[in-house]
Amino acid sequence: MTRRSLRRTAAALVAVIVAGCGLVSCGGTENESAGGEVFRLGADQPIDSLNPFVSVVTMSFAVFEQIYPTLVQLDPHEQYVPDFAGSWSTSPDGRMWTFHTHPGAKWSDGMALTAADAAWTLTTIAKFQDGPTAGLANYVTALDSATTPDPDTLVLQYSRPVANVLNQLKSVPILPEHVWREYAQGDGGALTTFPNTAPIVSGGPFTLVRHQPKQIALFKRNPAYYGPPPHIAGFGIQFFSSADAMITALKSHQLDAAQSVPATSVANLKSAGFEVVSSPGLRFDSITVNANPKQRAEHRELTNPLVRQAFDHAIDRVGVVKTSLLGHGHPGSSIIPPGTAGWYDRSIAPTPFDLDAANRLLDEAGYRKGPDGVRIANGHPMDYPIILPEDTYSGAGLRSFQIVRAGFARIGVRLTPRLLDNAAANDANMADDSQDFAMTMWGWSGAASDPDDTLNYLTCRSWGILNDTGYCGEDWDRLYDRQSVAMDPADRHRIVDEMQRLAAQDRVLLVLDYPDSIEAHSRSWADLPQVGGDSFSSESKIPLLSVRKAG
Amino acid sequence: MRNFDYVLRRGIFSLVTIFLAVTGNFFLFRLLPGDAVSNLAKVPHAGPELQHALMVRFGLDRSTWDQYLLYLKNLLHGDLGVSFTYQEPVSHLLLTDLENTVLLAGAGTLGAIVLGVLSGVVAAWRRSSPLDHLNTGLATLVYSFPAQWLGLVLLIIFAGVLPAGGMSDLFVFDSPPFWPHLADVGSHMVLPTATLILTAYGGYTLVVRSSMLETLGEDYVLTARAKGLSSRRIVWRHAVRNAMLPIVTMVALDLGYVVGGAVLVEVIFSWPGLGMATYTALGQRDYPMVQGGFLILTVSVILLNFLADLVYFRLDRRVSA
Repeated sequence: MTRRSLRRTAAALVAVIVAGCGLVSCGGTENESAGGEVFRLGADQPIDSLNPFVSVVTMSFAVFEQIYPTLVQLDPHEQYVPDFAGSWSTSPDGRMWTFHTHPGAKWSDGMALTAADAAWTLTTIAKFQDGPTAGLANYVTALDSATTPDPDTLVLQYSRPVANVLNQLKSVPILPEHVWREYAQGDGGALTTFPNTAPIVSGGPFTLVRHQPKQIALFKRNPAYYGPPPHIAGFGIQFFSSADAMITALKSHQLDAAQSVPATSVANLKSAGFEVVSSPGLRFDSITVNANPKQRAEHRELTNPLVRQAFDHAIDRVGVVKTSLLGHGHPGSSIIPPGTAGWYDRSIAPTPFDLDAANRLLDEAGYRKGPDGVRIANGHPMDYPIILPEDTYSGAGLRSFQIVRAGFARIGVRLTPRLLDNAAANDANMADDSQDFAMTMWGWSGAASDPDDTLNYLTCRSWGILNDTGYCGEDWDRLYDRQSVAMDPADRHRIVDEMQRLAAQDRVLLVLDYPDSIEAHSRSWADLPQVGGDSFSSESKIPLLSVRKAG
Repeated sequence: MRNFDYVLRRGIFSLVTIFLAVTGNFFLFRLLPGDAVSNLAKVPHAGPELQHALMVRFGLDRSTWDQYLLYLKNLLHGDLGVSFTYQEPVSHLLLTDLENTVLLAGAGTLGAIVLGVLSGVVAAWRRSSPLDHLNTGLATLVYSFPAQWLGLVLLIIFAGVLPAGGMSDLFVFDSPPFWPHLADVGSHMVLPTATLILTAYGGYTLVVRSSMLETLGEDYVLTARAKGLSSRRIVWRHAVRNAMLPIVTMVALDLGYVVGGAVLVEVIFSWPGLGMATYTALGQRDYPMVQGGFLILTVSVILLNFLADLVYFRLDRRVSA
């Protein structure tokens, strides 16, 4: 029996006794050890792995952002600013990028941190991108080589211009070559089995000193960090499986801040004196209406533009925002959310809730109402199963669905919810080459600074993996390829705007809303900006470098 | 010899049950739509390469039959596999979770038994009195509450007074001394344990009360009264001991569910136990974790039932007939 389990067993024996005096003793346990220097954060998503080649969740990449250098990062205004690279330049043809890294930097174990570590990381990802490093492969798109003419200079050579190089590189944690090199031998399989447990050799502002899965990740200031030292001695993230418990912990000052605050808790926290910050999120909720022209005959009318337009008019977006999001969000229009730095096309207005127009469109399509009020299309009632994945059918999502269903009922279309967990929903959407499903209500999140992820989602090459809409269009793919090599920002903006208009016109996704990203923190802490809607960001070190005790 | 036969028979029966449960668990979850790869591959820019790499990494590129044989072979070596999600050995992950669950559910079950027996005895002792009505009514009321609802209510009521989640104050760099740590774990246990106790003790109360009423009507109790023994002595020294037999049955049955019975309470209070781990793994189609979790749940139920069989056999030899 380990010392820890012995402790726990001993704790079990006296727990009941202690419980009796719990009301007294618990008041005294309130994190006095933090000494006002440890920033205590609550989150609802645990770390899946500390190995960047294995991890897929945003929370883990937010951890990597704090413990590993990245070449660039985002600032609170969603601009790319220096991190390990102090400056950079690109060749006129956009195929060569040169980064000048911080001279004299060190890892937390005292070894030199140079541009060679960055080159090794990128080269290794590229080398094994069809296997062990496939999860990070999209960050080295078209990368031919990464070389270091001197220890403080990194030169990246691409086979073609890549418009979003900085967006890609801000997501790549630079790993210490001297630690990881031995795992990149042979087929690189060992890269995915190295657990990378604490204490981790770090180059970022913090080092991870303890990680108890699903409970806590605790970080200390890294004295070897090449940048300005943080104002805090460290920070910790406690993971909660219930938002109620997290909010209660915040209110009782067992936490200093909480991420992903439910809209239902905002008023409560404000009245309790907490600073609640709502900012445009990176997510949109939407209804997918199967766009596959080869879908099953029972619902093939869903490809009819008049039907899709009618459905769009039957959605009460204002009602959804008011009732489901309690006002903490905006009605949806484009597939690029307003939180994606400057890329949201404001000229695309949310489709108005207009049941008369919707009914007229369906009449025009020739789908008359049957005796039970449900319209008949191609000989069958317009009665569609709609997949609600677990992300959607809890809380706000279910309320949104009820509003949508009520609207559809008034135009003679019946929606029958099909509640599935996420894995089963994926399977149902992709089944039979996306011919089976009729409709799905789900959400999508993109990056804070770049629209590429969201645009890629709808390409034909993503069909069956990411693209679960049944949509595949030559125009779309052509525009996607054009924007990915457009080095002139204005050019790229024009193409991306055109794509947003195309998506809105084809009604690939009926965008319901953009939920705000909501965080709350105690007023005893200050200078905690958000980047991409998060203060604990996977794209920036700035919030935790600047947070400090108030006063 | 007859004793040995009985134990052997029950032992073989338990082993066969475990094998069937292991096989059932393996195939059952694979019959569900969706898999871990489709979940994990749903990240920006994922392509067929990532999907294939994950399939190979998880061994899902092999036939189900091959996976099953490999699973059985590894199981015989005590290897529960590697979690798809965490990429760490399942046995390592679940052992910690199991310890946490036994701690919480053990304290909850023990507390429910003690409280249930005490309140049942008092109710029978003071039968038909206001105390009996109040006691029995309260026990029945809380017994009918769903654990997750009661947990949330307690969470709201005791916000700011008792810790809301986790199993200790985690924001400390150095390990705290033993006694403060003990008090800390104890305080974090109060709400989840109270939830478990409150939703379970009513059952014990009702059974003990009924059993006690029956026992208090026996002739030997009348004799004891006639001999002038005090009520307290009659109840605690004579009646309670004889009324405990049905409780042994109930405890034996309940013990089998100690490990798996706290799933919802663990989720509400973010208690890092086996129930929460299994619940999370199921949603992620993390087959090794789910199989490992269910294996522990199954084996614990079967072994504790086997133990109960042996205890019964010891108490009453007629059970072997």
